Amino acid sequence: MHITTVSVYWLAVFLILLVFLGFGCTRLVSFLRARRSSTRSVSRDRDRTIPAIDAHAHNHSPFHNWDPRFKIASLFLYWFCVASLQQLPLCLLAFFISWAAARLAKIPLSTSMKRIAAVSGFVGMFLLVMPLTVPVKPGDHLLVPDSFQFIQFNLRGLHLAVRIGLKATAIALMMDPVLGTSPLPVTLKALAHLRVPDRICQMLSLAHRYLFVFHHEAKRMATGMLARGFHKETSLATLKAMGNFIGMLFVRSFERTERVYDAMLARGYNGQIPAFMEFQAGKKDWLKGGFWVMAGLALVISDLMVQLPLPFAG
Amino acid sequence: MHISDGVLPTSMAVGSYAVSLALTAWSVRKTRGDDLPKVAVVTSSFFVASLIHVPLGPTSVHLLIPGLVGILLGSSAFVSVALGLLLQSLLFQFGGITAWGANSLMMGLPALTAGWLFALIKGKTLFRTVLAGAICGGLGVMLAGTVLAVLLISSGEDFLGVAKIALVAHLPVIAIEAAISAFTVSFLYKVKPELLRTAFPAAT
Repeated sequence: MHITTVSVYWLAVFLILLVFLGFGCTRLVSFLRARRSSTRSVSRDRDRTIPAIDAHAHNHSPFHNWDPRFKIASLFLYWFCVASLQQLPLCLLAFFISWAAARLAKIPLSTSMKRIAAVSGFVGMFLLVMPLTVPVKPGDHLLVPDSFQFIQFNLRGLHLAVRIGLKATAIALMMDPVLGTSPLPVTLKALAHLRVPDRICQMLSLAHRYLFVFHHEAKRMATGMLARGFHKETSLATLKAMGNFIGMLFVRSFERTERVYDAMLARGYNGQIPAFMEFQAGKKDWLKGGFWVMAGLALVISDLMVQLPLPFAG
Repeated sequence: MHISDGVLPTSMAVGSYAVSLALTAWSVRKTRGDDLPKVAVVTSSFFVASLIHVPLGPTSVHLLIPGLVGILLGSSAFVSVALGLLLQSLLFQFGGITAWGANSLMMGLPALTAGWLFALIKGKTLFRTVLAGAICGGLGVMLAGTVLAVLLISSGEDFLGVAKIALVAHLPVIAIEAAISAFTVSFLYKVKPELLRTAFPAAT
């Protein structure tokens, strides 16, 4: 065990950095979003617009013209390879690979930043909690602030948290190149080809379609509540209003489905939505798939075989 | 709280994927063919409901509602929760894609338990139904927090601190969700009581 006494200011610097990281990402996202749309929502709640997952499916890139079956299968394996990495330099490498892939797939910077912002809360919590709570093991390097001796800042904990953060971000950045580069129905068809049961694919497609409908419905109901003078506060009345709100949302969506489902049956729906497209795999699809599988395996193998130097190990 | 990518060891991530896939398959088989679109739609309405933030003092918490999903869908609740979490991961990055199995277990098992318990203890009167709703709503969150803590702790002793904090963070949500579930169940009892009756045919 290795104990270094540091000035208490370093603790403050660490905390400030964390706050900036968390707030910075959210700020950046809302700034980028505000620049795109000038309309402002009535509600004072944070903007929770549901992003369309395949909004950028019309572009052209090596990811767009790749057969989705190969894309999903090979990158699914790659995700797990990245998730299993143990050494920090390789996690950093995975992060840069994902960043490059997102740029190559022509994913807008704001979309990537939104992914990072979404994981920043969870990762920020780990960065804050892990260094202070991991059990001290022999060989650990502890930083102890000079005026608060009871705080033990374990660098191994920080290490773990940074590793988790990098892996989470690397995988998050990789989501858009895989799912955002082909239209959702095509992605679902590819899933069906990959032996995902038909029922699941159908439910996913229906659930995704209705998300936007019900989100719209919920917004309308919320506007109505605001117009009647409702405001959120910590009280039983607020909880009652929200309980009824959820009940109403549920009743409405339920009745709507029954109507739509009857209409679908009347039009000959038999559990299958006909698709008029066939996948054709070429040499390039195999090569790209092979590249990502090899990349994932190379990361895992070098993680197991090569001992890389640890940054800030002390 | 949903677990992000890179936290769980590979063995845990893959193992929970396998268990979740098996439970999803079971849950789909328990669902009648006619009900599939219905379950899909309930999935999306719960997805939307979980975006709602409830104020709590200076901060706010978002609803998890595994209890309500269980109450309304019974044995189909697991597939609903699993698909909802998959969509949340794909659209918002709430919960990592490699941790989907763990997250599904964390929300799906409490949903199934709450649904089963609700079918068991709900009576004929409004009071008993609402009481059952409150118990199951609170129980759902409590179990979700417990499963999360168990998953984190079995990922290594380093996560003990995080698990403790996550468990404490769930405590106020238990009370809020119990209240919201009670109000929602009371609303449904008065407006569309047949929704509360269909769930979990196995237990009745």
